[in-house]
Amino acid sequence: MRKRNFWSWLWVVLAFAYFLMPLIATFLFSLRGKKGVLSFLAYRRVFEDPQFLSTFGFSLEMAILTVIAGFLLMVPTTIWIELKLPKLRPLIEALSYLPFVIPPIVLVFGLIRMYSRPPFALVSTPALLVAGYIVISFPYMYRSISGGLQAIHLKTLMEAAQSLGAAWVTAVLRIVLPNIRSALLSAALLTFAIVIGELTLAVMLAWPAFGPYMALVGRDRAYEPAALAILSFLLTWLSVAVMHAVTRGGERSDSGAGAVH
Amino acid sequence: MAFLELEHIEKDFGAAPVVIDLCLDVQEGEFVSLLGGSGCGKTTTLRMIAGFEVPTRGLIRIDGQDVVNVAARHRNIGMVFQNYALFPNMTAFQNIAFGLSMASIAKADIRTRVQEMLALVHMEEFAGRYPQQLSGGQQQRVALARALAIRPKMLLLDEPLSALDARIRTRLREEIRQIQRTVGITTVYVTHDQEEALSISDRVVVMERGKIEQVGTPKEIYDTPATRHVASFIGTLNMLEATVSDAGSGELDIGGARIRTAAAIRAASGTIIHAAIRPERISPSAGAEGDNRLSGCVTETLFLGSTVRLVVHVEGHRLSVDLFNDPDLPVPQIGADITLSFAPEACIPIYVTN
Amino acid sequence: MKNLINGRAAKPLSSFAYVGVLPFLFFAFAFMLLPSGVLLLGAFQDAHGRFTFANIVALFDPSILKSYAISIQVSAATAVGGAVAGFLLAHAITMGRLPKAVRNFVVTFSGVASNFAGVPLAFAFISTFGRVGMVTFILKQLFGISLYDSGFNLYSFWGLTITYIYFQIPLMVLIISPTLEGMKREWREAAENLGAGAFRYWLRIGLPILLPSLLSSLVLLFGNAFGAYATAYALTGGLINLVPILIGAQIRGNVLYNPNLGYALALGMVAVMAVALAAYVTMQRLTARWMK
Repeated sequence: MRKRNFWSWLWVVLAFAYFLMPLIATFLFSLRGKKGVLSFLAYRRVFEDPQFLSTFGFSLEMAILTVIAGFLLMVPTTIWIELKLPKLRPLIEALSYLPFVIPPIVLVFGLIRMYSRPPFALVSTPALLVAGYIVISFPYMYRSISGGLQAIHLKTLMEAAQSLGAAWVTAVLRIVLPNIRSALLSAALLTFAIVIGELTLAVMLAWPAFGPYMALVGRDRAYEPAALAILSFLLTWLSVAVMHAVTRGGERSDSGAGAVH
Repeated sequence: MAFLELEHIEKDFGAAPVVIDLCLDVQEGEFVSLLGGSGCGKTTTLRMIAGFEVPTRGLIRIDGQDVVNVAARHRNIGMVFQNYALFPNMTAFQNIAFGLSMASIAKADIRTRVQEMLALVHMEEFAGRYPQQLSGGQQQRVALARALAIRPKMLLLDEPLSALDARIRTRLREEIRQIQRTVGITTVYVTHDQEEALSISDRVVVMERGKIEQVGTPKEIYDTPATRHVASFIGTLNMLEATVSDAGSGELDIGGARIRTAAAIRAASGTIIHAAIRPERISPSAGAEGDNRLSGCVTETLFLGSTVRLVVHVEGHRLSVDLFNDPDLPVPQIGADITLSFAPEACIPIYVTN
Repeated sequence: MKNLINGRAAKPLSSFAYVGVLPFLFFAFAFMLLPSGVLLLGAFQDAHGRFTFANIVALFDPSILKSYAISIQVSAATAVGGAVAGFLLAHAITMGRLPKAVRNFVVTFSGVASNFAGVPLAFAFISTFGRVGMVTFILKQLFGISLYDSGFNLYSFWGLTITYIYFQIPLMVLIISPTLEGMKREWREAAENLGAGAFRYWLRIGLPILLPSLLSSLVLLFGNAFGAYATAYALTGGLINLVPILIGAQIRGNVLYNPNLGYALALGMVAVMAVALAAYVTMQRLTARWMK
């Protein structure tokens, strides 16, 4: 038994060496902004760049819009399916696999082709970007919300509420939603993390988002990209850590497997 | 020399002692049950015998050999788990054959042996089925066959029936006992179901909080429980608060009534103890000469199938009285006054400190 | 709408009930199915909208086939590498008798690392293994080894592979950990009880039971890498012709003389992913059956 423990520790340590190395290297690299001395010059330059704030703000805005619009679309739908049309559940689950088959690069291609010309000239409106983001984050949203609903035995809860005189809407607002709070929060955080750093959709649809900004900086500057990478990593870590802390209460939502693109 | 000897076995999980100073001898061919509620240490004890846990202190000897440092897979002990633990990627046949193929036995011999085992547990037609295609009871039979196939020195069963329906449980436990008798293998059986333990064991070991409370034949455990825990765990029991009037002649005072017990009283006069009486040993009549008598009022009559249970209020206590469901005998009405009698031998003194 | 109680299965209600899912279905149709459909249809059209197979045939142009080959190679390499390393790591934290805190930390970190892909990841690897990256620098200064002179190049197949593995391993850990935790401890004990050591347990029982799960994870990792655009773009700036890069270039400009060929490329990509998905779903079903 002792032997097993040793190998396990070895693997974990090796894995961490591999994972930490680029992070440490990047951090060290980001400190080399000023010649000969370690300094946070690169970080300062990043924060002083007006483009940084404006693009980050833009992506933040898009993320919030995506979460709100996504929830408005997904939460009622998922509740409805659970309660009234459980037969459609396989269909929705199948649809949630679709974004895997249609990666963002293909999706954006299709969106551009479809919505560039009148009467559906949406391509220059942020709405299309948000719609695209909803499609990308839809699988995680759906799995998180439906997992949360199943954990609270939605049907039974609704029946109990109704037997006590609550109308549908009241029951949803006052009983269902508060009880799936952590599932909603984790879905929101994951969507947030995905949208902020997203590149493919933003670049192809030509929006001044954070992803394209980072790519631009990467082309022109040497040390600022490293600083951005570290900042991005910290931000993602924060989101995921909060998400995990919130869901530790028990609900098994999607463990956060990311959208890579 | 007993076949299985546990000497001063102790097991601590971290700072918490789970098994405390346990000593037990099991004879060859004997069927012994470890009986107790959850957390009493029975499963841990079984797992130490199997080799999945190592005792913190103490000795385990199987057939004279000290096995504490022998790995589980070299102990040649068959084990049946609570949730069967059949390998889902193998058929019943392959599951049973597994231990034999580990021992590098020739293929033809494996075949013969597996067929033998399948016949023993009456599962011949299911040889090609996968565990998911079998019911709980069937899976348990296969698990038993798998454990016995390797001709182990001992058979250990960890609550094998608790995941099954009541009907299947009764049938299966008799089958297990029959198979055990046929094969003649020393068996240790863990359960929390006292009826199960009493019905099929040669001896029962009642455990509570890591310690053995009593070891004895089912009848001994039932008729003469040694401690309060054993008494209340096994079967239904009436427990009456009594004051010792005269320890020498076995006289007790129960709420004013004079009751005699045939057992020796190990407490001084004036001490408060419990008098335990089994429901079936109380008779709703005046009884014979020398019997104890109590009078009370019937508050409930419960129909339990083969028995009828009367709940009688006596001297501030609720007594259960069990009668055979005899169609010729009228059942007392609720509210009726009734005289109860029981022999002094039926009154068991239980000391409060136990 | 007030009756939700199951017993009152009011039949007329069910057709009304479909109204509730209309918004979502409309959205899925408008922004997922239709755009993809339009794209895939375009693959079978020529510049004038007439039906043709020419684009599909053009896919077999050697340079395009090469793109598919590279994409498949990178995806396969990182899928296998990520699956093996990820499995070992997941096994270490679930069945390796390590403290729970380690498991939680690794899972959290995996959540982060699998999301860390794209531009930031590329930057991190450039800062580490690029021509002036930290590791390149340290190797030269401290050990006198010149990484790039000895043939290593981050902006190559292998560079891409190492970078992709950074998010493939955590993804594997996240996917396979729940399955590993579902492996009943009793199987191991029963096997031990019957005389099997660790090796034979894994050979006869552990791995066979895990096989569908492992295969489905492999497929998922493959698809993940195959469809990735941002990381490849940020790392290689379009130097290496992976299929997503090709499609990206096509969207932005006219790299290919024939826009419909771009649609065919997309079709090819979707076809690969669809096969991957089908394999994944089949494997998942098998796993569910055994893990009850």
